[in-house]
Amino acid sequence: MTDPKTVWKTQESEENEMSNIAEVRVRADRLQAGTRTRNIALYAYSAFSIAVSLWLVARGAFPAMRYPMLLMVAAHLLVLWQVNQRITARSLPADMAARPALDFHREQLERQAHGLSRAWLWYMMPFLVPFAWELAIMLHRIQTGEAPPENMRLLLVFVVVGICFWTAVLLAFSRAALKAQLQIERLNAVKAE
Amino acid sequence: MSQDEQYLSAIAEFGPALVRLARTYEPDPDQRRDLLQDVYLALWRSFALYAGQCSLRTWVYRVAHNTAISARLRRRKARLVSLEELADIPAPDDPEGAAGNAHVLARLQTLIRRLAPPDDQVMLLYLEDQDAASIAEITGLSPGAVATRIHRIKQLLSSQFHQGDGA
Repeated sequence: MTDPKTVWKTQESEENEMSNIAEVRVRADRLQAGTRTRNIALYAYSAFSIAVSLWLVARGAFPAMRYPMLLMVAAHLLVLWQVNQRITARSLPADMAARPALDFHREQLERQAHGLSRAWLWYMMPFLVPFAWELAIMLHRIQTGEAPPENMRLLLVFVVVGICFWTAVLLAFSRAALKAQLQIERLNAVKAE
Repeated sequence: MSQDEQYLSAIAEFGPALVRLARTYEPDPDQRRDLLQDVYLALWRSFALYAGQCSLRTWVYRVAHNTAISARLRRRKARLVSLEELADIPAPDDPEGAAGNAHVLARLQTLIRRLAPPDDQVMLLYLEDQDAASIAEITGLSPGAVATRIHRIKQLLSSQFHQGDGA
């Protein structure tokens, strides 16, 4: 039987197109350009949301919803900024790249677990507050007769869909945070060996 | 040495090992190429900060493994297992196929892909002929923990490849 180690070390290699420094620099620049594009896309989306919402507010399209709509715009901006801050960059920071693998892995997981376990605060709450406000305005308008009673059915649909959606989001974040935490604990146990 | 010179020197010495690492973690050719490029880029960038804090070998392997960890974290796949759990999986009874080098290699790669960190890293470095002290330095495990894992890896290889004495 062939020795697995020998088989391993005698694998065929591949041509390395990154042995040319000029090529490495081109790819490094492309990577940075990709990050810039991602940021531009995020900000373009924010700008579009703001523009549409402000246009609706300025036209007086939904006067009763003016302030919740403005708050929703602020929520979009806050969440986009948070996503931008928290999402792992495609490249590693150079000062972290050469840490012992176990420490590096644990730090990555801790960062992930921290963001996920607080997602209710930085992701859900900014949207939930204006959403609840809008529902409250709808209810008030129905009760005071400013809106037809038939709208109550629509309001209930919004409430049920909202509860289902946000519960699913919360469960997904909690599950991911728990998985990351379990992995951290496993790595801590390995480190303590 | 400049950043560029250090990078070129490192890939001249460790390039084949980096290819083997990428090939192990990413069976898909496109994703493997992406991972390999990520490793090379991380390595080149890291040399801006390298001032002999550890050996060149340790530095290169740490950067490569950390880049692979990040890639694995981005792409969640099947449940990963420990060396003990993997040892419980019986070796396929295929003497004809097992004799071929390509088959041995494919099985080694599959075994590593199924392992959870840091067991996968230890096995990969063991196959790269790194000694226990080097593996401990690269992974951050204690030398004792590495020795235990190497012992299990030898048993695993022995059972999976029907060897008399492991590797």
